[in-house]
Amino acid sequence: MISIKNLHAEVEGKPILRGIDLEIPDGEVHAIMGPNGSGKSTLASILAGREEYEITEGSVIYKDKELLELGADERACEGVFLGFQYPVEIPGVSNLYLLRAALNARRKYRGEPEIDAVDFMQMAQEKIAHVGMSMEMAKRGVNEDFSGGEKKRNEIFQMLMLEPSLAVLDETDSGLDIDALKVVSDGINRLRSPERSVVLVTHYKRLLEHCVPDRIHVLYQGRIVRSGGPELADTLEAEGYANLETDEAATAS
Amino acid sequence: MSAVEQIEPSIDHYLAEYARVERDLPGSDESKRGRSAELARFAEAGFPNTRQEDWKYTSLAPVEKRRFELSDTPHAIGMDDIAAFLPEGLEAYRLVLVDGHFVAGLSDLDRLPEGVTVRSFAAWLNDNAGATVKAAQISEEPGSLSAMNAALFTDGAYIETAAGAVLDKPLHVISVASGAVDERMTQVRHRYVMGENSQATIVEHAIGLGDKAYFANAVTEAVMGRNAQLTRVRLQQESGRGYHVSSFFAEQRRDSRVYNHGVDLGGRLARINTNTRLVDQNAEVHFNGVYLPTGRQHIDNHTRIEHATEHSISRERYKGVLAGHGRGVFNGMILIQKDAQKTDSDLSCDALLLSDKAEVDAKPELEIYADDVTAGHGSTVGQLDEDAVFYLKSRGVDEEGARAILTYSFAKSLIEQIGMPAVARYVEAAMLVKLPGGTAFADLA
Ligand SMILES: Nc1ncnc2c1ncn2[C@@H]1O[C@H](COP(=O)(O)OP(=O)(O)OP(=O)(O)O)[C@@H](O)[C@H]1O
Ligand SMILES: [Mg+2]
Repeated sequence: MISIKNLHAEVEGKPILRGIDLEIPDGEVHAIMGPNGSGKSTLASILAGREEYEITEGSVIYKDKELLELGADERACEGVFLGFQYPVEIPGVSNLYLLRAALNARRKYRGEPEIDAVDFMQMAQEKIAHVGMSMEMAKRGVNEDFSGGEKKRNEIFQMLMLEPSLAVLDETDSGLDIDALKVVSDGINRLRSPERSVVLVTHYKRLLEHCVPDRIHVLYQGRIVRSGGPELADTLEAEGYANLETDEAATAS
Repeated sequence: MSAVEQIEPSIDHYLAEYARVERDLPGSDESKRGRSAELARFAEAGFPNTRQEDWKYTSLAPVEKRRFELSDTPHAIGMDDIAAFLPEGLEAYRLVLVDGHFVAGLSDLDRLPEGVTVRSFAAWLNDNAGATVKAAQISEEPGSLSAMNAALFTDGAYIETAAGAVLDKPLHVISVASGAVDERMTQVRHRYVMGENSQATIVEHAIGLGDKAYFANAVTEAVMGRNAQLTRVRLQQESGRGYHVSSFFAEQRRDSRVYNHGVDLGGRLARINTNTRLVDQNAEVHFNGVYLPTGRQHIDNHTRIEHATEHSISRERYKGVLAGHGRGVFNGMILIQKDAQKTDSDLSCDALLLSDKAEVDAKPELEIYADDVTAGHGSTVGQLDEDAVFYLKSRGVDEEGARAILTYSFAKSLIEQIGMPAVARYVEAAMLVKLPGGTAFADLA
């Protein structure tokens, strides 16, 4: 699905990603963990096409295309989805309007006609039921006056509507109570299929218990310093990130 | 030639223009004497200039250098020509002026409710020999262009509501500059006399057709009786070579309410003066405004709210969106007189810069002579939130579209306050269409 090679990125001359290598095969779920400030959100936003970072080296091949050459909107149309750590509020523009615009942008990109209004509403009703939101909420402004948990549910609702090939979820599980966590993990599991891949950025093992990943990677100071199977989450929970410096030295050598 | 003539040759042109049309202007000989007194005042003061504090940022030199003439008759236009300016779904009476003259054939004033008079100002003047004409009956400082308008105005809307009368539908007053001939001017004047407990909603709509240069100079006066309520929506969609100046003067008696919503989308240059005096207790005023200069447009809003006596309320909120080389000016003066204790006032002005070539000067100006008042004010100038732009792009919306959607979001809450959904939708769509990439999202409205 996606192959990241030697990715270096900086902001205002300050290096943040310092050589990321990551392969995510079709159908796999990979988790990225790591301490605050290690570069997880930076990596996620660079994959989605955020422009404030300067890519100084490396490549990201997604479905045989160089992702770094596409704008964020084109990447979305190619099937990349980013679930935001901090979803944005857009008062006065309804969630449904945005979703319809998003779906139509994809269709236009592929040379297809706009989605039928009735089909759209049916689809929205079906998917919104999965995330425990009401249609009334969907008609409100994008994340307008939503609680933290509601915003995260809404990200999952959007993901289910847009059916991405590659979903990158940045801490979609943070700050959620157990019911909301269930909604988020069910949503992710619902999306899982042999044609779709998921990157879960998380701090917490509990999400990974609901959505068992194929691989876990640990990001530290802009590099992946350790990778392993789902059991790595237990090790990290027991030991914390204390031994990472030595790991990094080992990787660098 | 004397030195004075060399400095102000344009004034001569308007003196001659007055002489040319005086006989045809509406009103009695008595009112013509009033007009010529105002003409003299205009001639003495001349056009406003940038040395005047109030006109610091707005130069009328392009107006002053031209020789605008009044149209003796309205250019023949049909409903088709103005259809695009009628908000879809708006049930309203309609009074149409073309090139400064009332056109009955385009108007719809059938079945007005009891106690409500809506007619051509010219016709009303001709029927009321005793009526006087002053630059502004209810303001001490109306400015030289209001004097010019008092001298030269050809027509407008005259609205009178009897005590307790309610205008059951909005009145859409459209002033069209046909743009049929180069360098024409319209001098239009409206008067609203609102009786006790009466209520009216009026949409004053200035539109320009064609691509000829013209000058539209309009004045509206509103006298608000006790507990009367006026909602006035002022939509300004002059064409690209239209120079627009308009002034609103209200005087508000006890318990009266004025809701004024300005929307400035058009014009090469527009200067709008919006004024009210709250002369009695519990009078309340709301001034809202949205302005959107793009390209090389210049839009200047000056407002003035005078709290003359105790216990009155004012709320003012302006939002500007500036794109391209657009230039915006906002000056909101709140004057709280010595006797205006317990005044409750709040003003905010926010501007959104969409381009680094655009520019805005927006400021509240408070003059407070009473000591027991609440007077809040705030002013912001900002840019679109790049996190929000990225959020929309990450969903598939292109860059321009994302910016148009967020701009809409910025202005929408204020536009909604117009209260009439059909008009709000019309304004929102007209705004989106003006924004780069916005046309694709006009259905947001
Ligand atoms: N736009 C930016 N300008 C300056 N510094 C930035 C910018 N974006 C990220 N950084 C810095 O890059 C580093 C990595 O940030 P990032 O947000 O990617 O961390 P993270 O791993 O997601 O952390 P957290 O777990 O707290 O979410 C931090 O030191 C951060 O301050
Ligand atoms: Mg982060």
